[in-house]
Parts: sequence; structure tokens; C-alpha cells
Amino acid sequence: MKVYGIILLFLMGLFLASCKDLDEMNIDPNGIDPSIANPSQLLPTVISRSGSAVTNLGFGDISGVMQQTQKDGWSGGHNDFAWQSSSHNGVWLSLYQNLSDSKEMLHKAEEANNDFFRGTALIMMAYNFGYIADLWGDAPFSEALRNDEGIMSPKYDSQFDIYKGILNYLDQANTLLSKNQSEYNTIANGQDILYAGNVSKWRKFANSLSIRYNLRLSEKESSFAQANIGRILGDPAKYPLILEVADEAAFAYPGNNPSSSWPTNIVGNTDLSSDYHRRKMCSTLVEEMRQHNDPRLGVWANRVELPLHLDESKSDTYDNVEDVVFTINGETTTVRCRVIGKGVADDYVEKYDEPVNYNLDFIGMPPNWTTLSLFAYNVSPVTYQGRPNPHCSMLNDIYKLASHELLKSRMLSAAEVHFDLAEIALKGWGGNASSHYNDAIRTSFETWGVANGYATYIAQPGAAFAGTLEQIITQKWVASWSATCEAWFDWRRTGYPAFETVGQGAKQEVIPIRLYYPTNEETTNAEKLRGALSNFEDTRYSLEEPDNEAFPVMKKNSAWAKMWLLQGTSKPW
Amino acid sequence: MNNLLLYLKQVMKISTLAVFITILMTEVLSAREATAQFRNKVNIRLEGDNALTAIQQLERQNVRFAYNAQQLGLDQIRIADRTLEKATVEEVLAYLLDHTDVMYEETKGFVILKRKQQPGRLVGRITDERGEPLPGANIRIVELNRSFSTDGKGYFTISLQPGIYSMEVNYVSYQRQTKQGIKVGEGSTVTANFVLRESLDALNEVVVTALGISRQEKSLGYSVGKVTGDELVKVPQENVLNALSGKVSGVTINQTGPTGSSVSMVIRGGTSLAGDNQPLFVIDGIPVTSTLNNVGQFGSGNAVDYGNAISDLNPEDIESMTILKGPSAAALYGSRAGSGVVVVTTKSGKNAKGLRVDLSSSTVFDVPYKFYRKQDLFAPGSRSITPDDVPEGTILDLPATVTTGMGIPLDKGIFATQWRRPEYANEPLLPTEVVGHPDNFRNFVNTGLTSTNSLSLSNGNERMNYRVGATNMTNQGIIPGTDLNRNNFSAAGQFKGGKNFTFSTNINYTQSWADNRPAGNRGTNVLQYAMQMPNNLDIKEFENYWVTGKEGQEIVRLYEGWDNPYFLAYEVKNAFRRDRIYGNMMAEYQILPKLSAMVRMTMDNFSERRETKIPKGYSGEPNNGAYGLGNITNYERNTDFLIKWNDRVGDFAYTLSAGGNEMYTKGTNISNSSISGRGLISPNVFTIKNIAPDNLLYNSAWSQKAIQSLYAFANLGWKDMVYLDLTARNDWSSTLPKNNRSYFYPSASLSLLVDQVFKLDPRASSIKLRGGWAQVGNDTSPYQLLSTYNALEPWGTTTRYGKSGTMLVPNLQPELSTSREFGTDFGFFQNRLRFEGTYFVVNNEHQIVQNQPIPSSSGYSTTTLNMGLVQSKGWEFTLGGTPIKTAGWKWDINVNMTRTRAVLKELAPGITRLPIWNEASQGSASWVNVGEEIGNIYSPKEVRVTDPTSEYYGYPILNAEGRWQSVSREVANYKSGNFNPDFILGANSVLSYKNFALNFTLDWRYGGEFFSDTERRIRNNGASPRAYEKEIIDAGGRTGKELSDWLKTNHHLFTDDGLLRYVGGPTRDMGGYHAPDGIAWDGSFAPGVLEERDADGNFIRYVEHLGQGAETKWGTFRQFDTSWSFPQASILPADFIKLREVSLTYNIPSRYLEKLKIKGLAISAYSRNIMLWTKAKVNIDPERAFVPTTEGDGRRGIQMRQGTEEFNIEPWVMPMGIKLNFTF
Repeated sequence: MKVYGIILLFLMGLFLASCKDLDEMNIDPNGIDPSIANPSQLLPTVISRSGSAVTNLGFGDISGVMQQTQKDGWSGGHNDFAWQSSSHNGVWLSLYQNLSDSKEMLHKAEEANNDFFRGTALIMMAYNFGYIADLWGDAPFSEALRNDEGIMSPKYDSQFDIYKGILNYLDQANTLLSKNQSEYNTIANGQDILYAGNVSKWRKFANSLSIRYNLRLSEKESSFAQANIGRILGDPAKYPLILEVADEAAFAYPGNNPSSSWPTNIVGNTDLSSDYHRRKMCSTLVEEMRQHNDPRLGVWANRVELPLHLDESKSDTYDNVEDVVFTINGETTTVRCRVIGKGVADDYVEKYDEPVNYNLDFIGMPPNWTTLSLFAYNVSPVTYQGRPNPHCSMLNDIYKLASHELLKSRMLSAAEVHFDLAEIALKGWGGNASSHYNDAIRTSFETWGVANGYATYIAQPGAAFAGTLEQIITQKWVASWSATCEAWFDWRRTGYPAFETVGQGAKQEVIPIRLYYPTNEETTNAEKLRGALSNFEDTRYSLEEPDNEAFPVMKKNSAWAKMWLLQGTSKPW
Repeated sequence: MNNLLLYLKQVMKISTLAVFITILMTEVLSAREATAQFRNKVNIRLEGDNALTAIQQLERQNVRFAYNAQQLGLDQIRIADRTLEKATVEEVLAYLLDHTDVMYEETKGFVILKRKQQPGRLVGRITDERGEPLPGANIRIVELNRSFSTDGKGYFTISLQPGIYSMEVNYVSYQRQTKQGIKVGEGSTVTANFVLRESLDALNEVVVTALGISRQEKSLGYSVGKVTGDELVKVPQENVLNALSGKVSGVTINQTGPTGSSVSMVIRGGTSLAGDNQPLFVIDGIPVTSTLNNVGQFGSGNAVDYGNAISDLNPEDIESMTILKGPSAAALYGSRAGSGVVVVTTKSGKNAKGLRVDLSSSTVFDVPYKFYRKQDLFAPGSRSITPDDVPEGTILDLPATVTTGMGIPLDKGIFATQWRRPEYANEPLLPTEVVGHPDNFRNFVNTGLTSTNSLSLSNGNERMNYRVGATNMTNQGIIPGTDLNRNNFSAAGQFKGGKNFTFSTNINYTQSWADNRPAGNRGTNVLQYAMQMPNNLDIKEFENYWVTGKEGQEIVRLYEGWDNPYFLAYEVKNAFRRDRIYGNMMAEYQILPKLSAMVRMTMDNFSERRETKIPKGYSGEPNNGAYGLGNITNYERNTDFLIKWNDRVGDFAYTLSAGGNEMYTKGTNISNSSISGRGLISPNVFTIKNIAPDNLLYNSAWSQKAIQSLYAFANLGWKDMVYLDLTARNDWSSTLPKNNRSYFYPSASLSLLVDQVFKLDPRASSIKLRGGWAQVGNDTSPYQLLSTYNALEPWGTTTRYGKSGTMLVPNLQPELSTSREFGTDFGFFQNRLRFEGTYFVVNNEHQIVQNQPIPSSSGYSTTTLNMGLVQSKGWEFTLGGTPIKTAGWKWDINVNMTRTRAVLKELAPGITRLPIWNEASQGSASWVNVGEEIGNIYSPKEVRVTDPTSEYYGYPILNAEGRWQSVSREVANYKSGNFNPDFILGANSVLSYKNFALNFTLDWRYGGEFFSDTERRIRNNGASPRAYEKEIIDAGGRTGKELSDWLKTNHHLFTDDGLLRYVGGPTRDMGGYHAPDGIAWDGSFAPGVLEERDADGNFIRYVEHLGQGAETKWGTFRQFDTSWSFPQASILPADFIKLREVSLTYNIPSRYLEKLKIKGLAISAYSRNIMLWTKAKVNIDPERAFVPTTEGDGRRGIQMRQGTEEFNIEPWVMPMGIKLNFTF
């Protein structure tokens, strides 16, 4: 019997030995405990994700809306603003996620009493909240990011309150970052992927953002904006600005993995209908730039792969690829073309009600062209959507890459600041409009690597400053390439560039003025969202949203309903 | 709270010690009490004594004797001289009287001497009514309280002292028999034969319940399902869960994909918002968690379901399975038992008497016979053009790049230039006849083959028994290039130490592996490309997938970006290997007749390696293919003890038990692979080193968790009439915050045997009423209290960390599931008619829901929080009967039916919706709004006139282009289905005649819907016949006012909500009009109304859009494909009837086998899972409406979307199998 007693005792001993400490067991071994984390671990996250979010949108749907590019496959969101509440969930999500990380960084910086990270955190918060106010209007601000305090459904603040809050953040940041560089000794420079820890550049970024948002308010809250701008321009030592390319808030994509790669890259994707291949230049931008032989066009776009050439001497159905000799400016060149007979051209014109484009250099696709057969543009031989079209300009080959010195997220450029200052000068709020206009174009040429073309370009009539707001904003729109959100907001405020028509493919006959509040808010924060929507102003376009009485749709959640900033103005339509 | 925990730990330690001391003390005490006289120490000197004088010497030393000296002849017994000092009386008597015919025993303080008797023999045989022997039947001699068993041929021989005895004979599922007054004379042999009748008295059956305790079913206050091992292996299944389909009420089994895929088992409807509702398996006391999260993905579009780990369980090793359905039954298993428990008892050598060898072998061919149906009227193309539509002499072209649409009619003798193999690219391209190949898919798939071979040895005697077994299973899949293999080894042994001590152990080792598992979803799923093969091409032309002369370099394909299904099948490899060891050690000690103790330790350990090799050539991995290597391990240890006190006071019998358990589990996960699409440095070199550092995706993580528990329970019974069970359990989980870590939950259940209480009509054999109430608490997964920063992909050389997007709540509380059930069991006519019914309500509240979306403006996009109340209500019925029972014939039939509805009653304040899954691009989605049933499917809705007073009520409101407009599913909240059936009905029948048995199981699921993404895509591709079969309104060629009047009269054709119908068709014969461009007869339009608005956008009136006048916007047939924007046409009814199992068995009578020295041989032919009928009629198995995904959809990390499928279209099969069982 003793043997069995021992066995039993042994097994019971195992039972006792196995009793573990339950507290220690639940410490997560797979991540960094926030209590021992450092704000520098968050800084590159916030910068890269903020810049990427805005670039993805600006170089995505907004470049289509603003008629810089078009797509010929899966084009509804890009060309035709066929948006709804689910279209831009991701943008809202990532902007608030950036804010959450920025706020965490701010907390960490406050704990450590580190002014550099406090300042940069405030700038990044201003940057992200700025886009939220711009893209949607009213939004959670004062109660946002306070889940830790138990606020799960934050209320919506008015758009104006958000802008005021942003300007306040930027003011604080300017002060926090005003000391000598040597006083900020705890910066891990490698973690600052924007300015490598250069405090004065961050400070310029803060003040330049102030200019951006004050200008945004310059029609609606004119005296408020004028006073703020006056204060900034009145004391350049206290409020330095980004005036040269070296100070631009822009960072390159390293391309070492998908999330750090340029959005249209085709690395690892030979799919012929990838985003790059669907993209075509838009005729609005191409023709504007062709007028003045803008050298930036060659940086952004590929020349037409195979120009079309009409030869009326050939039979009606003639259709052949061959060399054609042209005399351009007195020089003869041989260009390989697809030569077509008149019948081929006429058939196309009749079918699509669109002239054939015979440009030898660059061709853009008309905006919102048609609902069907986009790939057929310009007598295209392509039979499937989203494929390269030899008779239309693709984006420059660099946009296939994951990384290139020109492939940058351009958060705020020197050109933008100069255009802003030119506009401010034109308003008579100080400064010289002409010199800022010229500097804007100069810095834009510099940043795109075509500085030596500037002198020729600016001397041309039409390009030389003519003193109109339309010219400033139109040039600003051209310069906004790949950061097109800013152009959209300018168009909304000023009505420029004066886009002529919107094609039959578009969801509405006019360009939209905002994004829809995302589905996530509709389903998770409905009550607060409804309150905010009541502040919107109906327009005849918003009333045409497809719905009817059976669906209590949030009708004013429309891309054509006017936010506070536009209410009472006649802009843009 | 912490103090309490420490205190309880102390209690645990002390009580364990106390038990141990008690065991040792009782051992000593009882010995003294029982044998006082025998143990007396005496000194005796024997010199020329006989037995009488020696006894008298002892009497002088105060040993009290009783004997008749003369009768025994004691003085005649000579004793050899010897001196014994300090010897016990017993030792002295042994010296004196052993080897004589005098025996001695101690009774009531006297040593009694009497004459030994020659033992008699009691012999006999136990057989069933057919005369077949019942080996291992139990024979109890009542007076001696000793049990014996029959040998392999049913014979028994028992030696007994002369006397009169009573016998009791028992055999599982046979009626007990007794014989009294059997007189055994000295040295004689008495024969007693027994013919046992099968027991139909279900209530007297014994079932294994929680903690492995066997109970009589009549004493249970709750419903349990039970399946014997024999039933599980009648028709072999790769995954034992499949064998439960249709057999047990309240249980839903779904095989989610091809052989070897995960099998879902849900008991009484899913009430958990947090988990996948899979029950806990307890195999011989070893808890094994089953899950649907078995999907892995290396490389783009290569989601592979590696199957449930529970499939490691070898069906041949199972003795019985008990399904504990509700928390009442499962209360003792604690946290993980919320979704029910399946208690598995494996075979042992317990019943073996002598060496027994079992050998079985089965082979099954899965012959595909029914396939998802594509249209076979038109080749791909955008317009159904014939030579009549084009100028004379035009050569029609069917370009290889056009694989979708409805173009040139097939089989009409039309010639066109078509694709050909690249080898012939330099030869002139001549037009060939456009011929359909409707059997492409049939020609692509294989006949599946599964063979299972199993061997076991068992042996046993009074002191020990053992069983060892080995099984091998191999499967070649229906999908070309796929396989599955398994080896099981098991050993079980039990050793008895004396009467009171039992030590048992078992250990199991399983290897499961495959060289290639099929991928699901879209991407490398070979069925997708086989199904999407253009129907003007012969799939066999692609079978030799290398271009001749360019083997290994160039693949035969239609165009760059199109994948050859044969290449995917044979070259993309998703291998895995899982090694699993599980086992237990257990010691039981009967301390006192009424007190017993048990200590047990169990372990379950597996390591699974997954390796994916994708060579250059798959379009999703254009950069030299892809490679991935991962390893997942899991370890779980449970240590438990149980102390039991068993007693009876008058008519009142009771058992009190108390015990404790500690569970500890640790899991690790390591994976390395190329980033999706980024590829390898060199093709066909599958090592991690062949992945450039920037393209390497790597991860490792581990987690651990422990739960400590104490529990107690009582089983009370009165007069075989009333039984009451009470349980209480307290758990301490490491995953919950200190203050909420401890949670307590009780249960109670009552069983009332009405037939025992009242004298009833004798035709009512048994009537039982039962009811139960129970709670089960539950914890969560590890690390849900404090969020950490996550590492992101580095930005160049800069490391990045980000805050988690998930808000964690540091004060989580345990979940609580409360269930009530009431039921009744009836038996009539000696139980030849049986009925069981149960009604249950389960309230699962305080659920710990992970990844719940919250406004991202709050700083987090998802949260983990306690919320929600899901109420599941349902009915279960079983009706059974034995309509035929004669000497030769017997027919047993059982029908069970289940209906369950789970409704979301509450969520947290401000949260009204819980997402389940989401199909992108405005497809379908599943979510639950508060107050709705779980399982609803939503889709976008078309805009219609909703004013009932309008003459256009129900008409679609079209946009300016004359097309339907959609309202997003979120806004419309338009319910278009629910993935749960209205009810499930299962039927089992066994018909036997002498040695033949015919057995079948049917499964009918009524109601419910599923969203078929296959149908949606094939429809969008123009390859589904349903599009023109169901959606065309044939207006008989009417035009103008005649047409619009006709449409207004027959407006039900397009105001019916189900489908979006249009006037027109692909050809003139099928209702098409001459298209506006005049090219072909495929002109069509959508009937409805347009809205006229004023300059301010205000509505003025509806304008008819009914084919009359310029308002009507005509288009071509294909332009009215709505599969993308309105998926409701692809939401299909899920009703089906399946023949789960059918088998015919012949037991060869033993008289033929005896010469061959075989104890038993059975031959059976069988089939399984034959689809008999579906309501949807698209030849997709609605049971397989699951999409494996690694994205998780934000759906709480569950890797299976239920209620939707994507190319999960393995054909229906007609399996043909044969099985041989030998017993030696």
C-alpha cells in the first residue's frame, strides 16, 4: 500500500507545484509597454503616416476630381466622384489614428518635459485636424481622442472652432520650438524623417501651416484671418516661413516595404490593370501645361507612346503603324505613328462624340469622359479596362517605382507658401504679389528638378505674372501635382481653376466640395453625427442624392452639401 | 481579493495534504478493528501436540474459540514440534491447520473452526437472442459481492464454496437478468445459462457525463447526446466530427470545404459574440480546444485552411462520445464549456478477456457527379454576334484575352479565330468552329480516394489491462494535387493495486501531414480558374501546362495575368505537418467503501509546421514566386483532483464530491515569408535566405494563460424517483484583472421519474420530467487589459512604433452565460416508441467582445469591452421507434429535430450594431442590430417608389441613364437573408435481418440563405445561366405604347423585390430587341420610372420608363448585369437534404469463422454525404457557405466568414466505400 500512497502523494505534489502566479502571466511579451516607451518611437510613425494619408488621397481620387489625372478602369471614385459614405472610411480612420499617435507623443513629451516632441506633436495634430476640417467640415475635436477619459462618442465641433484650435496649436508649437537648436539635446535625429531634428525647420513648418489655414478662412472670416496673417508677416524673425525648397515639409519614400513605397508603384505587381496602368493624364492639366511648354510635364508624364496621324490620302479604313516625317519649327523629325484613314477617325468621332487627338507629345484623357469604354479613348486598340493606352499619356515611368528622389510626400511646399503670400499680397494684406508668384514657380521648378527651365518659362506671356487671382490659383493648381488636396480646397474657395465642363460620366454635373462622413461614424456615432449634419446647407445637387423617403438617409451627408466654410458664399458654384 | 486568493491556495494545499493523511490513517485503523483476535500476539511451544492440545494452549492465552473438536477430529491432527514466539494467532493457526480440511475464521470476537468444503463449480454461457455469444458480460454473485466476466465465446466458470447463491448478469445495452436460489453443492458443477434481451429502456442506459463520471441517464436533469464508437466508424470519416451530422439533436455540423478542411460544430446555436462557438472536447479527461481559426496564408491570394486539430482524433479509438449540450451539463468544465462539451471516452482493454486483435480496413472512392452549372449557349464576348450581324466575309475573332461575357453562340456551326497553344503561334491562325466544352470542370477534377487501415491489440485480467492501436489514413483529394495523411498511435493501460487502488494512463501520438492542401477564397484556388475557363476552350489543352520545349519556364496560358489551373494544382504547394502528443496519468483510491479520491494530470502538446512553395509562374507572385515557413505550437496541461463521498440513508442516496483543477497553456507562433507580391531572389529556391531582406515578412509571438478552479457537486436521489444535481465552481483566470479574476457559478438540475411515482398504464414504460438551471462564467484571451505599442514595418532604416488601434479596458469582467432547460422523456410499449423533447433558453451576457468598431474619432477604432446580451432559444425533439421486432427482423428509427434562434438583445450604450463580416465593393455583409437575429445578411437596395398611393408603387426609380440606383447596404439596412437554418432534421435508421444490417442517416436543413460570391462573379462574367433564366422579361416583341401598357399590367414582373428584371435578352429568340447601335439583337432596358425635378432640385413627378418614347434609355443585354451593384440575385436559399451515411453490413456468423480461428468478421459497403436535393439548384453545397480568410475582417479574429462562399465549389460526390473488420 505504501507504494500507492507515494504515487498519490507525487501526483498531488505536481498539482501544487503547478499553481502559477496569475498576475505575471498576463504581461504581454509581444509589444512595448507604453509606460517605458519614448516619444521618438512614435515620431516617424506620425510623420510617415500623416504624409502618406494625405498623399494617397491627393494623388488618388482628388487628382481625378481636380482633373490632373483620370483612370480608364475602376474609375468611379477617381474620375466621377461616385462617392458614398463608405468611400473614404480609410482616410478618416488614418487621420484620427495619426492624431491618436500624435496625442500619445504629446503626453509622453509632457511627461518628459521635452519641448521638441511637444512642438512637433502639436504641429502634427494641427496638420491632421486641418485635413479633417477641410475634407468634412464639422468634426470631433474638443472631445476627440479622449476615449481614455471615457468619451466614446465624441461630439462634433464646428469647423471654425477646429480651425481656431489648429491655429492655437501652431502658435504654441512656434513658441515651444523657438529656442536654440543646442537646447534640444534629446532628439534622436534619425527618428525625425522630416527634418532630422532641425528645430528651426519645424518652426517654419508650423508658421507656414498657420498661413495656410488663415488663408482658408480669409473669405469667411476675413478680419480674423487678416489680423493673424498680419501678425505673422509683421515679425519674420518670430514667425519664420518655408520659403526655399530646402525647408519644405516633404519626405521621400524609402520603398523598403509596401507601406513605405510610393502608392502607384508596381513592384511586385505585373498586373496590367494595376493602379499605375489605369492612370492616364487628364487633358485639362496637359493642355494647360502644353500652352507654355511647361518642362514639369515631362517629369510627371510620359510622352504618347504611339501618336495618331490622320492621312486623308489613304483609304477610309487605312490603319497602319509607320514612320511619318513632320516639320516642326522648321526642323524635320521622323515620328513613328499609327496612321489612320479618315473613315477610322470618323467612326470614332461618331461613336464617342469626341475629336481624335493627334498631339505628338502629350495627350490627356478628357475628364469624366463617358460611362462606358473609357479604355477606348482616342481610337485605342485596347479592349479591356485599365490597360496602357498607346494613344494617351501615361504617368512618367518613375511613378512605377517604389522609391525615387522625386517621389515624395509633399506635406507643405515652398511653392505653396509663396502662392499663399502672392494671394495675400493681392488682397492688399501686405507683400509683393509678383515676386511671390515668381518665387512660387521658381521653387516648384526647383523641387521637380527643372530649375534651368524657369527663366524661359516665366518670360512667356501667359506665364508671366498678370496680377490676377485666377492666374495665381491656376498656377498653384499646376504646382500642386501629387499633393492635389490643397488645389481642391483652393478651387472650392475661389472657383479657380475655372473648369469648363464636367463630362457625362460624372455623378453630378458639378465637382463635389467635400467628402461624405464615413460609414463608421454613421454606424457608431450616429446621434452626434446627425447633430453635425443639421448644420449643413442643402444645395440642389445634394438634394439629388439617390435615396427616397423609405430610407432615413442622412441626406445632408452629401459631397454637395455646403459646410460652414462655404455657407453664404457663392463659391464654388 | 488577492488575500482571498492566497487563502484559497492555502486551503487547496492543506486540503490536499489532509486527504493524503486520511488515506494513510484509515489504512492502519481499519486493519486493527477487523481482526482483533487473529492479530493477538502469543507465545507457544509445541512438543508432541496434536491440534486440539495446541488450540487449548491458545485458549489459555485468552484467545476465544468456538468449535466442535470431535466432529473436526482435531485430536487426530499431528503437529510437528516447534516454538513460536510473539507470533500472531493467525500465524499459529496457519501452522496448525493449513493443509488440513479444517478452516478458521474470525466472527464476532471468536475464532471459529469448521470443516473445509470442496468448492463447487458454477458454469454457463451468456448469449443474445440470436445465440451469438456476449463476451465480457458481467456476472455478479450477489452474496459475495464479487463480479466475473465471460470469455470471448460467452462462457464463464466460477468456483464457489457450497451454498445458495443469487446471480445478476449485465451487458451494455442489454436487459439485466437475475437468477436466485442457485444451489452449489460440494464438488459439484452447476450450469446456469443466460439469454439476454436487448435493452430498449433508454433511461437505464449509462452515459459518461462531466469529469468522466458515468451516470444512469434517468438521473439526469438535462439533455445529453450520445454516440457510440460503433456508430462513428460504421461509415469512416476523415474528421470524426463529420460522423456526428444528423445523429444528435441540437448539434449543427458544417464541413467548411474539401476533405481535411475545418469542420464547424455548433451546439444549440451560437451565442458567443466573441468566439467561434466551438465546443470543448474532453478526451479521457484531456481538454482539447477546437477552433475554426486554422487558416494560414503565405504568398498573395493563397489562403489555406489546414483543418481542425480535433481531426487528429482517431475515430477507431473512440468508445463513446457524449455531447453535453447546455451549460447545465457542462457547468463542471468551467470557462471553456460555454459552447458545450463533447466528452470522448477512448477504448481500453477493460472488456478484453485474453488477447484480442482487431483489424479494420476501409477504402472509399469519392466519385464526382454534380458540378456548378455554367451557361453553355455563348462563348465569351461582349455581344452575341453571329455571322448575320457582320458584313459578308468578316472573320469573327474570339481573342484569348476575352474570357467573360456572352458572345458568339456555341455549337451553331459558327467559325472564328480562337486561342491555341503557344507552340502553334507561328502557324497561320485559321478560324475554327466555336464549340462548347460543358464538361471542362468535370474533366478537371479527380475521383478522390481515402483508405484507412487500423490495428489494435487489447488484453486484460483482474489486475491490469491494456490496449495499443495504430491507424493509418491516406487521402487523395478530388482537387488535383491535394492529399492528406494521418498516423495515429495510442496506448492505454490500467493497473489495479489491490482492491482499492487503480492507476491508469494513456498516451496518443498523431502525425498529420500533407504535401499539398488546397487554397480557398480567390487567388491560388484551383477551382476558381478551372471554373472560369472559357467554355469555347477545352480544359484538357491546358493539362500539359508547360510550353513544349520550355518546360519549367513558360506556362501555357491565355494571357499574362491569367492562371492555368493545372499549374496551380500541381506546382503551388501548401504542405503541413502536425505532430501531436496527448495523454494522461490518473490514480484513483477507494479510501473507504464510501470515500474515494482521484488525482490526474493531462497534457496536450502539438507542433505544426506549415510550408508554402509558390514557383515562378503564378500571376499573384510575379517576382519569382513566393515562399513561407511557419511553426505553431501549443501546450496545455491540466492537473486536477476529486474527492467523492457516496452513501445511502434509507431511500435517500447521495454522492458529494469536491475537486480542483489547474489549467496552464502556452502557445507560440513563428512565421517567415516573402511579402505578398515581393517574391524571391531566385526562382525555385525555397529557403528563407532566398528572400531579400526588404521583402521578408517575419513575426514571432507567444502567449500563456492559466485558470485555477475549485468545485463541488452533489448528486441526490430518492427512491429511484427523484434526482437532484447541484454544482458550484469558482475560477481564477490570469486573463482578467485582479479584482474581477475570481468568478463563481452554480447549477442545479432535477429529474423526476413520473412512472415510478404513480402507477401508470403498463404500456407507458417510462415517463421522465427534467429541468435545469445553470451558469457558466468565462474569461478571455491573454493580454486584453493593457495595450502596448506595436512595431510597424520600418521606414527605411528608421524603426516605427504605433499605438494600438484597439482600446483595451483594464477592468474587464468575466462573461456570464445562464441557461435554463426543461424537457421530458417518454417510453411506451417496452420502449419501442420513444420521445424526448427539450426547450432551452440561454442568455449569454457581459460578453467580452474584441474588435468592436467605435468612432475612430475617439482615439481608437476598435475596442474590447464587456457588452451584449445574446439570447438563444430553441427546441430539440427526438422521436424514436422500433416498429419491427421479430426473431430475425429488427428496425429501429430515430428522428431528431432542432430549432434555434439567437437574438442580440443588448449591446453597450451608444453601440447598436455588431459587424460579423463584410464583403467589399458593396457586396453583402453580415451584421447584427440590437433586437435582431444573429446571421442576417444585408446587401445594397435598389431605389423604388415607396409611396403606396402612387400608381408607380414599387417601380424602380432609375437614374438619368436609365439604370437602377442603389442605396448602400448600411443606409438601407436591407435584410436579404440569414445564414442560420429555420430547423434541422436528422433521421437515423437501422434495419437488421439476422446478420445483415442496413443503416442510414439523413440530414435536412430547412430555411436560411447564403451569399454565393461564386455565383456573383460567374454571373458578372456572363457565365451563369441564371442571369437569363430568371431576370429577363420577355415582352413578346411588343413595342411602343403596347409595350408600356403591357408592362404596367404585368408590373409584378419588376416590382417584385427579389430580383431586378429587365426587358430584352442576349438574342432575338430570348427576347432581345435590335440594339440602339444596330449591331446585334441584344437591346434591353430596365423598366421603371425617372424622377423629374425643378431647378432647385425639388421633386415634380415620375416619368415612365417603360420602353415608350425617347425617355427610355436602351442598352445592350450585358450592360444590365447587376451582380456587382445588387448582389441579392446571388443570395441563395440554403435548404438541402443530404444522405449523410448509408451502409450495409454483413456479420459473418461465427460458425463459419471458427475454423479460421477468427472471432469475428464483418464486411460493409457504404457511402456518405450524398446531396439529395438543394433548393438553390446551383449545385453548390450550402453547408459549405464559408470563406476562409486571414484578414479576419475585423471580425473578432475569426477566420471563417459564415454564410458566404467564394469558389468553394468542390463537386458533389457519390462516394463508394467498402470496409472489413476482423477480430482475432
